[in-house]
Amino acid sequence: MKKKILLFPFLVFVLVLSIFFYLLLIERNPSKIPSNLINKSFPVFEAESLITNKKVVSSDIFENKIILINFFATWCKPCRDEHDFIMQLSNKKNLKIFGINYKDNSKKTQVWLEDLGNPYSDVLIDKNGKIAIDWGVYGIPETFIVNSKGIIKYRHTGPITKKIYKKIYALIEEAN
Amino acid sequence: MTSFAGNLTLLISLFFSISQFITSKKNKNLKAVSYSVVGLLISSFLSFFILTYSHVVSDFSLLNVFQNSHTTKPLLYKISGVWGNHEGSMLLWILVLTLFNFFIFKLIDKKNSIFILKTLEIQALITFGFLFFTFFTSNPFETIYPPPSNGLGFNPILQDPALAIHPPLLYIGYVGFSATFSMSVAALILNNSESFPWHLYLKPFVIAAWTFLTLGIALGSIWAYYELGWGGWWFWDPVENASFMPWLLGTALLHSLIIVEKRKSLKAWVLLLSILSFLLSVIGTFLVRSGILTSVHTFALDPSRGIYILAFIALLGSYSLILFKKKSGKYFNNYYFSFFSKEGSILINNILMVVVCGTVLLGTIYPLILEAFTGDKVSVGEPYYNSTVVPIILPAILIMGIGPLLAWGKQEKFKIFKKALPSILLTSLTSICFFLFFKTDSILGIAGIILGSWIISNNLLLILIRKNKSHSLGMLISHLGVGLLILGITGSSVWQEEKIIRMTIQDEVKIKNYNILFKEINEIKGPNYVAIRGSFFINDKKEKLITILKPENRFYPITNNFTTEASIHTNLLRDLYIVLGDGNFNDGWVVRIYLNPLVVWIWIGALLIFLGGVISMKINLKKLRF
Repeated sequence: MKKKILLFPFLVFVLVLSIFFYLLLIERNPSKIPSNLINKSFPVFEAESLITNKKVVSSDIFENKIILINFFATWCKPCRDEHDFIMQLSNKKNLKIFGINYKDNSKKTQVWLEDLGNPYSDVLIDKNGKIAIDWGVYGIPETFIVNSKGIIKYRHTGPITKKIYKKIYALIEEAN
Repeated sequence: MTSFAGNLTLLISLFFSISQFITSKKNKNLKAVSYSVVGLLISSFLSFFILTYSHVVSDFSLLNVFQNSHTTKPLLYKISGVWGNHEGSMLLWILVLTLFNFFIFKLIDKKNSIFILKTLEIQALITFGFLFFTFFTSNPFETIYPPPSNGLGFNPILQDPALAIHPPLLYIGYVGFSATFSMSVAALILNNSESFPWHLYLKPFVIAAWTFLTLGIALGSIWAYYELGWGGWWFWDPVENASFMPWLLGTALLHSLIIVEKRKSLKAWVLLLSILSFLLSVIGTFLVRSGILTSVHTFALDPSRGIYILAFIALLGSYSLILFKKKSGKYFNNYYFSFFSKEGSILINNILMVVVCGTVLLGTIYPLILEAFTGDKVSVGEPYYNSTVVPIILPAILIMGIGPLLAWGKQEKFKIFKKALPSILLTSLTSICFFLFFKTDSILGIAGIILGSWIISNNLLLILIRKNKSHSLGMLISHLGVGLLILGITGSSVWQEEKIIRMTIQDEVKIKNYNILFKEINEIKGPNYVAIRGSFFINDKKEKLITILKPENRFYPITNNFTTEASIHTNLLRDLYIVLGDGNFNDGWVVRIYLNPLVVWIWIGALLIFLGGVISMKINLKKLRF
């Protein structure tokens, strides 16, 4: 009896360590934040378009197509880094990309899009960050994929990297 | 050149650690062992010195200096920057390790040579492990070519005097437990529990480790208190927990050792505790360094480092715990003792400390366990710890007050009561005073005040009437410190008052009996930052000026960081604490004002605990004729 109890510290130790090992070995990002919006329908919004200067309602955008929503700003350096990937994604058929211009200067954004290219079907102005709050945006850049039924399927915080690009690409293929 | 010299010293250290292992294992030539021990100490000192020198002269050809330093940084922070990053802190860790190694060696004489040599053998293995890790995965002497003209700077919130010495103190604590670990493993291997008083050797090292850990944690707390600007001093951050857990086990270990000494009991328990304290220290380091948990202390995300440390812990832990399972049988005895005795009270406190430690461990790693099994992310915070740790710690504190009054062995209950009577009276008196002053109805507050006063009066009376040295002075002072600490914790957590408001110039606000006037705001320039500084005039009820508080909002252009510098006015009863937030002249500034009662007693208490520890350390080293 006593002998078995003596093994207890060792067993607890092994259990704790195996969990640590597991977490180190799987590819995980400790600062990644899961979204509560996954598999739920998108939060509705109303905003002014940067390109047409008209009011846009969210139901105008989601018209039975796969949509990629990208929160960005010109003052955000990582947004510039991911811009090439978004440009590449914009060549994809069956996909519409919308940019939400988060707390930004509209003039600067226009210049930015002229310089770097405009991958967005439309850019909506989120001057005071209200849309971002509704979508639970943690920090920009942030990207969401909404399927043709208006359900949010994927969320990525931080810039799109090569790895994430491949993932998003695969997700869109799958959804088609 | 510096890189070459640094790498060379690391390689020499590796060599000496191997030679220490071999020579102490052979157990023939004491001279050869001494060469290895001293050689190891000197070479580790040199590698640490070389890195420090490179930081001081801003030698940006070293990647480590480039990443963590800048020419404009004040000298103190150039030096503390050495251990303010992962690679450099490993060198400090190794230096402290070799220092303890040297102290262990200095204890050697004819009677204990088998035990000490066995200990040095284990120490050599541990040192080798850390050296190997540093050299191959965290080498601070990596170069960068061409050398950049200036560095990237150093995280400004770490540029602080308390934080400059916080890591070295903590490391003395963590690494001190390596000495007790090695000694316990040596005792288990040698298996001569009756013939050799190994526990006497353990004790000064446990006291040293525990004492410095206390001070290290306290300084970290002080830093968090005035630098983070959140008005509190403990946040149950995973890394705070990582230092708190070995401290709890160390507390249990320290007290169990007394029972081993006086009653020849609990030997196996002591061995287990001392193995676990060190394992928890290293696991703490792992949690910090691997980036598996995010916190202010996370240095760099690098899985390969994590895997290495983890493999090392697995090796150390499996070996020592299996050894414990196999060999500890001999250290058990069936000596039972009464509840109302000194040893009874110590044992109960021991169990409570271990339970608290287990609770904190569970809270710290629960999010990781859950994520591993379900993928869900949760965070465990203050509510969990408050509702689990506090109820376990309260009885522990009560018993802690009684313990020193009890005698070894059996005793009549009435006698105990008679002995405790003066301090019961004193406790009632002080509790009533506090009660009238704070006019509280919080149960936790009342409990804290009564328990704090209980410990204080007990120990104060014992210090005053200490005749025949029946009680160790170090113990009494440390316990007095704990009493004050409890008062401080109670005051600052139960009666804290907080105000967050937007203020423009000339605005006034009241908190408790104080009137606070926002007089002006200025731009100032520091050595490596620019800042705005507010001036707040604090008046009391009679409109007498008490002080002017000047909180700052600093911007460090090199690292592109903002920091807040709280401004605090302290007296023995309360801290007034003001933090300046965002704002401008038109809309005003967000100002946070805290009134934290009794905070200063936390720091005084911690300092007394430290002092008591130092006194005990001296006495216990004398027992070894050191």
